[in-house]
Amino acid sequence: MKAKKEKKEKKEVIAYRKGCNARGTGLSHYILMDRKAK
Amino acid sequence: MTSKKNNRVTKTAAPSRGRFVNTGNGPTFQAIDIGHRDYAAVIDPDTAFWSLVARKKLADVMLDGDLPRAYAKKADQFAREMDSLRFGLTPSAVYFNPTERCNMNCTYCYIPAEMRREGKHMPEKKLLKALEILKQYFRTTMPKGEKPQIIFHGAEPLLNRYAVFAGIEEYGNDFLFGIQTNATLLDDAAVEFLTSRNVSIGISLDAPTARIANRTRKNWDGRGTFKPVLAAMRRLNGYDGWSVICTVTDANLQHLTRLVDFFHDQEVPMCLMNILRCTLPPSRSLKPGDAKAAKHFLAALDRTYELYRETGRRLPVGNFANILLAIIAPAARRLMCDISPCGGGRCFFALASNGDMFPCSEFIGLDRFRAGNLFKDDVPAVIGSEQFRMVTERKVENIEPCRRCAIRHFCGSPCPAEAHEMNGGMDKTGAFCEFYEEQVRYAFRVIADGKVDAYLWDGWDKGIKDTFNF
Repeated sequence: MKAKKEKKEKKEVIAYRKGCNARGTGLSHYILMDRKAK
Repeated sequence: MTSKKNNRVTKTAAPSRGRFVNTGNGPTFQAIDIGHRDYAAVIDPDTAFWSLVARKKLADVMLDGDLPRAYAKKADQFAREMDSLRFGLTPSAVYFNPTERCNMNCTYCYIPAEMRREGKHMPEKKLLKALEILKQYFRTTMPKGEKPQIIFHGAEPLLNRYAVFAGIEEYGNDFLFGIQTNATLLDDAAVEFLTSRNVSIGISLDAPTARIANRTRKNWDGRGTFKPVLAAMRRLNGYDGWSVICTVTDANLQHLTRLVDFFHDQEVPMCLMNILRCTLPPSRSLKPGDAKAAKHFLAALDRTYELYRETGRRLPVGNFANILLAIIAPAARRLMCDISPCGGGRCFFALASNGDMFPCSEFIGLDRFRAGNLFKDDVPAVIGSEQFRMVTERKVENIEPCRRCAIRHFCGSPCPAEAHEMNGGMDKTGAFCEFYEEQVRYAFRVIADGKVDAYLWDGWDKGIKDTFNF
């Protein structure tokens, strides 16, 4: 029953997008570590 | 009307109201299988718009419904965003080689061996002069208050450490500094100097054991460097601003999952697992097949997720995180190898130790791409040179099969150096394709399963706003 309910709650469509000022600067030989993972 | 460079034709081009998907001025949607039980992806490749749609409802949702109408209202905005990202940026970083020399002879290095063995250092005076020229140049290109990045890169920059440190000391207020090092010379004094000045530090390690790591990363006598690198990692423990690059090759592919465990155990804040570049012939001997590479790489990503669930601590794999960001927030991407045109020559350029300028580090050693000299030539003229334009004008629209590929703006068809040197031209793909396809499909599955946060760093969405939410 619970599994059935969870299945029902799945969205028909997932669609989102986020925006910001572009800051892309790097090549993949190096990444600037100004944001840390926790 | 046509947008700047990607040939996207907008509404005024034809007397069509855009009522129908895939005809007239309607949205252009391509459906792709993402390997998920419940969802498929629907993508407008030109604008990098995507949606995940329940497989059973795919035709209904894609062809006639609220989604095409909602998207149609945003399509021009997204096209402008992609145009700006692809063609509107100016340089903000320099990969600065303070020496040609390296104390190692890694199999896959893209810098020619004779240069690394016999090359010269940039003298301290010259290095300071170079930083002054770059400071003045960036004043004309960067918004006020934003600092350009200088990344000391190699060869091995710490072989010329006193000049490098003098530059960091003198220009610490003018640039964000980083250094990519093989870590063999990263002793206590170097760590103290760099960490006390908030220099971002990238080190290189390919495997969790000496036996495997030493297969590809070794010095000129053939001896491996696992031990000193491990010692350097321990010195860096607790510092936020460091990361590890692993170059993924046929020699270490099967050990990536264990490497994730090892990095996590060592509390590495972030790693990159870069598939090797096949620009120079020696590296091609280590090239894995795409399917095999994808299988092991994705297993390593799975392991980072498991570790996050078990411990609450992430180990973001930066190059994959960048692809995930390219999908959910295209302008937030950091690395510019997986967008077309790539960042080479337009977001950054590379400086050799004699002042010669190249579109990217990957081209150092390829004379044809030497575009000028920082000490002799005008920087904007070099950036506009034919050598730089060969790279900055390489775009997916001119490459087969990329021009008709739904994920062309999530992969970017890297890398121009590989395409030119290995496959014979800028209108060719690089060394890998299916490897990138599988990463994008995996990223969509991560989104479908609501796991995005587990693969990115803390605070990744700071300063980022919703522009579409269906």
